[in-house]
Formats: sequence, C-alpha cells, structure tokens
Amino acid sequence: MTARDGQAAVELEGVGKAFGGRRVLAGVSLTVPPGGRLGIIGPAAGGKSVLLKLIAGLQRPDAGAIRVLGHDLVAAREPELAALRKRIGMLFQNYALFDFLSVADNVAFPLLHAGVAADEIDARVAARLRAVGLAGSESKMPAELSGGMKKRVGIARATVARAELVLYDEPTAGLDPVTTSKIYDLLRADQAETGSTAVVVSSDVAAVAAFADTIAMLHDGRIRWVGAAAGLFDADDLVVRSFARGEERDGAAVLSRSVEAARPAPGAWP
Amino acid sequence: MIFRRSLTQLGGRVMAMARDVGGVFVLTMEVLRALIPPRLDGRETVRNLYKMGNRSVPIVVLTALFVGGLMVIQFAAFVKQFGARALVGWGTGYAVFREVGPILIGLMFSGRVGANNTAELATMTVTEQVDGLQALAIDPIRYLVVPRVVAMMIMLVALTVIGDAVALIGTMIMSYVVLDIHPYTVWYSLVDNLGPSDFLHGISKSLVFGAAIALSSCYFGLTVRGGAVGVGRAVNAAVVGAAVSICFLDFLMTYLTA
Ligand SMILES: Nc1ncnc2c1ncn2[C@@H]1O[C@H](COP(=O)(O)OP(=O)(O)O)[C@@H](O)[C@H]1O
Ligand SMILES: [Mg+2]
Repeated sequence: MTARDGQAAVELEGVGKAFGGRRVLAGVSLTVPPGGRLGIIGPAAGGKSVLLKLIAGLQRPDAGAIRVLGHDLVAAREPELAALRKRIGMLFQNYALFDFLSVADNVAFPLLHAGVAADEIDARVAARLRAVGLAGSESKMPAELSGGMKKRVGIARATVARAELVLYDEPTAGLDPVTTSKIYDLLRADQAETGSTAVVVSSDVAAVAAFADTIAMLHDGRIRWVGAAAGLFDADDLVVRSFARGEERDGAAVLSRSVEAARPAPGAWP
Repeated sequence: MIFRRSLTQLGGRVMAMARDVGGVFVLTMEVLRALIPPRLDGRETVRNLYKMGNRSVPIVVLTALFVGGLMVIQFAAFVKQFGARALVGWGTGYAVFREVGPILIGLMFSGRVGANNTAELATMTVTEQVDGLQALAIDPIRYLVVPRVVAMMIMLVALTVIGDAVALIGTMIMSYVVLDIHPYTVWYSLVDNLGPSDFLHGISKSLVFGAAIALSSCYFGLTVRGGAVGVGRAVNAAVVGAAVSICFLDFLMTYLTA
C-alpha cells in the first residue's frame, strides 16, 4: 500500500504560504521517498508547523505544488482529501487531544471512525498505549495528563491506524533526554514494522538528526539546506552549521532572524 | 476629520457584520447539506442533549415559575378593577405561550448553553482539536456542528414546553395567593380560550430560535481568532448575535402570522 516505486511519498515544489500578507513560506521544495525519514529543523515561528499542515492537506498553499502519496493536493477536492487523510497520521505540536474523550477513546478514535471491529480496536489501543508507556492511564482525561504524557497519547493516536505517512510536529519538545530517546526508538520501531514514511519537525536537532536519514533546514521561508543527517553538523553553510550546533557566535544572524520571526504579527496566532 | 474617521469605523463595522451574517448563512447551507442524506452522529447528539438539558432545566424551571407569578401581579390591578377574574388564565397563558416563554427561555438558553457551546468550540479550534478531527478525515460540520444544532433545537423546544407548564403553575399559585382565584378557574380560563395554535405558535418560535442560537454559537466558535483572548471575544459575539437574531426572527414570525 505504500506509494509506487520511483514515486515520492511527499513532493513539494515552490510552495508558498502567507497569512494576512505576512509571508511564512516562500518557495519550499522538498522530496521524501517512500519509507524515508525526513527531519525538518529551523528557527521558531519559521513555518515548520505550517509546512506539516500543508502536507496533511489541512491548509492550502498560496503557490506551488504538493503531491502526497500520489495525490495532487492543490487540485484535490474535499472528498479526495478526506480519503487521503485516512492514510496519513499526524501528531500536532499542541497534541490536539480531544478533551471530551478519555486517553483510550482518543487513541481509539481513528479506528472507530474507520469502522474497525470493537474487539480489534480494544486490542490495538491497548498495544499502542503499552508501546508509549501509558498502560494504566486508559481512563484518564487529557486534562489530567502532563505535557509529555499528552505528547505520547498524540503519538499513539497518530500511529494506531498504521498510516502510510506519519507527520510528527515536535514529538519530543519538553521531554527529558531519556524519554526523548525512547520516543525516537518507538518511531523507528513503528516505521520498521509498517514501512511508513516519516516527517519529523523538531527543535531538538541532535535527537532528530540521530533519527532521520535526511535533514532539511527551513530558514526565511525556504529550504536553506538539505542533506544526509550525518553531514548536518559539518555542513558547509555557516548558518546551518551554527544553528545545528547551537553556537551563538556564528549563529548570531540566525538567532536575530528567528527572534524577528518569533514576534507575532498583529492579530496573528500565538 | 473625526467625522471621516467615525465613518470609516462605521464602514468597517458594517463590513464585519456583513461578513458574519454571510458566514452564518454559509454554515447554515453546510449544515443542510450535511443532513442530506440525513446522517447524524447519534453519540454526539445524545451527549450534547444530556449536557445541555442538565445545564438548563433547573434555571428554566426557576425563571418560568417567577415569570408565571409575575404576570399575575401585573394583571392584579386590572382584575380587581374590572372583576375580570375569568381572564387571568387566558391573559397570562396567551402572553407566556406565544411570546414571553419562547423569547425569555431562548435568551436564557443562549446565555447558558449557546455561550458554553461557543467557548467549547472556540477552545477546540485554538487548541487544534478541529484540525485534529480533519486530520482524521472527519468533517467538523458533520461531527461537531450538526449534532449541536439538532440537540439545541430539540432541547429549546423541550425547555419551552417545560417552561410553559411551570409558568402556568406559577400563575395558579400567585392567582390563589394574590387574587384568591382557584387554580381550576385559571385552568378553565386557559383551556377554554386558548387553542393548540397558540401553543404551537410559541413552539415553532422555539424551534427557529434554537436553530439561530446554535448556528450563531457554532459559527463564532469555529471562526475564533487570536488564541485564548479570542475565545472570550467569540463568546461575546455569539451571545449578541443570538440575541439580535432572536428579536429579529420573533418580530418576523409574529408579523407574518398575525
Ligand atoms: N492559521 C494561522 N493564521 C495566521 N497565522 C498563522 C497561522 N498559522 C501559523 N501562523 C503564523 O505563521 C508563522 C509560522 O508558524 P509555525 O509554522 O507555527 O512556526 P514553527 O516553525 O514554530 O512551527 C507564525 O508567525 C505564526 O504566527
Ligand atoms: Mg511549530
């Protein structure tokens, strides 16, 4: 069920997106092969989350082309998008857990609406919650969970339907290093099992570079650098290298720009 | 200068209002389309009905009791002066069933249930839960809006029936206390002079108000802007929008059926 050989799982070409006249993405081009693991890094408020939502078909680009799992997202109408979304899993940066449903019901939700049989749902939800280390929290409500726990519920929900493409927005933000490496082990294991394609946005550069096979750096609305994850820390591009290493001396330019970008436009979302 | 600025401001407000009216209209069309063929998320509808009923029945009962009694007090001087004792049931019933009941309960329902619904949907929107639904290939209109519209229409009608009955009890109690009129007299005055059409006139208003409250509250909830601060603004706009719609629709329906 993965995309046909030779056809990219995700393909972006010159994608642009603006909010109220403020340009967030200005010509992003990217390709992720089936079964690939792409890590996206970049300064805060640089449009990483927007990029993931565009790939998930939750927002439409102002310019450019997006192909996901063989579908043209720009031309697709709502029914086609809905069918495509069933093949995509997504972890939102702010978890997006349904706060009126328990942990178990949140994880079961995608299966319930895909018409999976009840006993299979129970089994798969239990297995998923065990995998993310949340066995025993089934009946808790999202409001009772810590940030890290919500994140793991979100991961369980994003992967429970065995999507062909999984998009993770900051899967380890705010988690300790041990939990972080556990989460990435989990993503790796999932991928090995299902052969899915993964796109991970993360501010934890070292951890995502260890997980991904390819890293792309989003900077000033474009892909500034893309290459093998192993080469990130020795990239020729000074801006990329210093951002990856978190060096302040060379990274001054990056830092000041990211602070600029982080300042929300009047009326913009936080 | 000031004149021009306030004119610009006025223009901006009119534009914003036109956008909201248009938005509610589009949402209405989407809800109607989602109902053809009639598919309804039963679980969500029942969950909403339960929550809304729980929240609003006590307050409606309390208010209706007082309103029913209050009508008698207003009526008392007139009754004493003209000895129109046989008219108390008819007079209060006519006013409550056709006008006071639907509009008062509608406004209260909007403040209680509609506002809560707006806050809930607005919070879901700013915390990306609506995006989350969409990412799971679930249509937010079908899953969130339609069950709420249906539940609010049913619940407001039910509350109006309850409110009418309780107001009648309030009338009987106060008639007895203030005017020494026996409850039977009130009852026969009511059933002899009022027909089902008076009752149904009020019920049909409630049905329409329920839809207006639901659509206004869902629209402002789903179109919230600006994070947590925006949630408060959305609730405010929804309640005002619902109140204006109720008064306008009441006028329209009364005028058209008069
Ligand atoms: N729905 C939206 N409406 C308006 N502005 C938005 C919206 N989504 C994102 N933005 C703006 O786009 C910019 C990039 O946001 P985001 O993609 O969340 O950045 P990050 O790289 O930190 O994930 C931010 O300045 C944000 O305010
Ligand atoms: Mg983000």
